[in-house]
Amino acid sequence: MSSEIVEMHLKLLFDLDNLLNDIDEPKYKKIGFKVEQEEKQSLIRTRNALLKKLPRDMADVYERLKERYQRAIAPVDKGFCFGCFQRLPTELLTQTKGMITCPNCGRILYWRKK
Amino acid sequence: MNLASLLSKDRIILSLKPGKKEKVIEDLVYAIKEGTDAELIVSTLLKREELGSTGIGKGIAIPHCRSLAVDKLEIAVGRTTKPMKFNAIDKKPVSLIFLIVAPPQDPGNQYLITLGKIVQIAKVLTKKKLISKPNTPDEFITLINQVEKDLKKRN
Repeated sequence: MSSEIVEMHLKLLFDLDNLLNDIDEPKYKKIGFKVEQEEKQSLIRTRNALLKKLPRDMADVYERLKERYQRAIAPVDKGFCFGCFQRLPTELLTQTKGMITCPNCGRILYWRKK
Repeated sequence: MNLASLLSKDRIILSLKPGKKEKVIEDLVYAIKEGTDAELIVSTLLKREELGSTGIGKGIAIPHCRSLAVDKLEIAVGRTTKPMKFNAIDKKPVSLIFLIVAPPQDPGNQYLITLGKIVQIAKVLTKKKLISKPNTPDEFITLINQVEKDLKKRN
């Protein structure tokens, strides 16, 4: 599987996990958006299937980080990890290949396209 | 923070072509992002729709999600030239769509606050039959601003 497809699966998995978090928020329910248990279970099955499509080591890291921080991926902005808000080492900012994690908190780093 | 300040003229499409829900969502997302970022947002929004339609009734839909593809809250608005199917909760067709995408890290949970505000404003727009009034994106923003001010006074 190409690295672009893996990246797309990982990002979608992350977005779906955020969706699962939001639908359980009392504020979200109060707005009037109610999600039935059956649909929620179906979304959990979808995210589990996506997780299986990731390389094993990446999936393991993702799940471990999700367990620890709720959000396993952190965007990078102006050289900072937006998970722990620590400045990232310059040499890390120039890496372009593979899964890059924050040396401080361990979250998977994500550089947005400008 | 008011909703009108989050709206941008080039993301308000007042003559949106009605069609399949998926296509209309895609058209609105492309007003915000393009390429793989847009694909990611569309996929997440459609997964959200599978959980239950975001058509809140009375002709309004509010597709929404968080996505890694954006770094701030982004909104696109579409008013279709004819009402279209959206599997809304009241089973009625939809003609006004507010599409919201928020970043995952969102200080103060601005996303849910904005979502709640849009639901409130949308209800006023339908109750006062204002959806078809604005002729330009500028007029639309002015209308939202006015409705928001009225709501603030009432509360």
